[in-house]
Amino acid sequence: MSPAEDGLLVRAAAEGDKAAWDALVKRFSGLVWSIARSHRLGPADAADVSQTAWLRLVENLGRIRDPDRVGAWLATTSRNECLRIIRRSGRQVPTDLDADADLEAEDALAVPVDAGLLAGERDAELWRAFSAISERCQGLLRLLITDPPPSYEEVGALLDMPVGSIGPTRARCLDHLRRKAGITGAAGGSQ
Amino acid sequence: MAEDLQHPDEADTQLLATLRSVVQRVDPVPAEVEEAARASYTWRTVDAELAELSYDSLLDDDRLAGVRGDGTARTLTFEGSAFSVEVEVSEDGDGRRLLGQIVPPSAATIEIRHSGGVLRVGADEVGRFSAGGVAAGPMSLRCQVEGADGPTLDTTWTTV
Repeated sequence: MSPAEDGLLVRAAAEGDKAAWDALVKRFSGLVWSIARSHRLGPADAADVSQTAWLRLVENLGRIRDPDRVGAWLATTSRNECLRIIRRSGRQVPTDLDADADLEAEDALAVPVDAGLLAGERDAELWRAFSAISERCQGLLRLLITDPPPSYEEVGALLDMPVGSIGPTRARCLDHLRRKAGITGAAGGSQ
Repeated sequence: MAEDLQHPDEADTQLLATLRSVVQRVDPVPAEVEEAARASYTWRTVDAELAELSYDSLLDDDRLAGVRGDGTARTLTFEGSAFSVEVEVSEDGDGRRLLGQIVPPSAATIEIRHSGGVLRVGADEVGRFSAGGVAAGPMSLRCQVEGADGPTLDTTWTTV
């Protein structure tokens, strides 16, 4: 899917094409969910973020300035709703890439891990470690693992990051993840 | 997991692949969340004016209020071309209570769209309205000023 195709879907949905709308949902619902969850929102709050973001897209279908960039529009809208919901609950708004959580994975993100779900203790450890790295790292890594994976250009647009910083940040975030998971790193670790 | 010390990129790629399968197993988009997103399309309107949120006390750093538990209501202002709507949102059990004002003051009919359904209330001759039992979550107001061809606006969807 290219941005031009995304733009076509937006225009079609604006004209009343429900199938185009469903295609947009299929394409970006993972992104919206990832953004909410990487802000450490529990399933109910993440569902609120998702619902509000999609409703705001519906009301703006005919007026988005750049329909090709609807993914970035959804990402920004989702992030703004996350910040609102975080403030609503009185939590601190997250800031810094390097500020690892260094706290127990909160109940919100500690999805009850069904032993049957995860192939072994190693994966459970990886999930716990992932839940404990910074929000910015979670956001970046969740984006990089979506299927199909976005290009660095798209990631830059979605996360408002310079394209050149994505590679080094990806490496740094994976090192954080390794440290938290107790995996011995490749080539000594940090960049 | 075999870490390839010669090629850090290889190790990173492998770690990402493992992470992908773990996250997809443990935290996929819930089916009902995706269904709700598809169903949002029914709210598509082509005619009503959209009133943007021009003020949200929750994002106002100068205010110490608006945080759950301190008893102070959150205030929202939606601006349209013909009129604006100010809403105070307070907690009402698990849901929300709204206290609203049409500016400039005018009688109006208000349709409160929320995740629990739709509530219809009237704004009195000085533009005041209220409603309880609004579900927490996304909310939008369709306001029509009274009178023949009274202007209508829809407030942008906001999570309350």
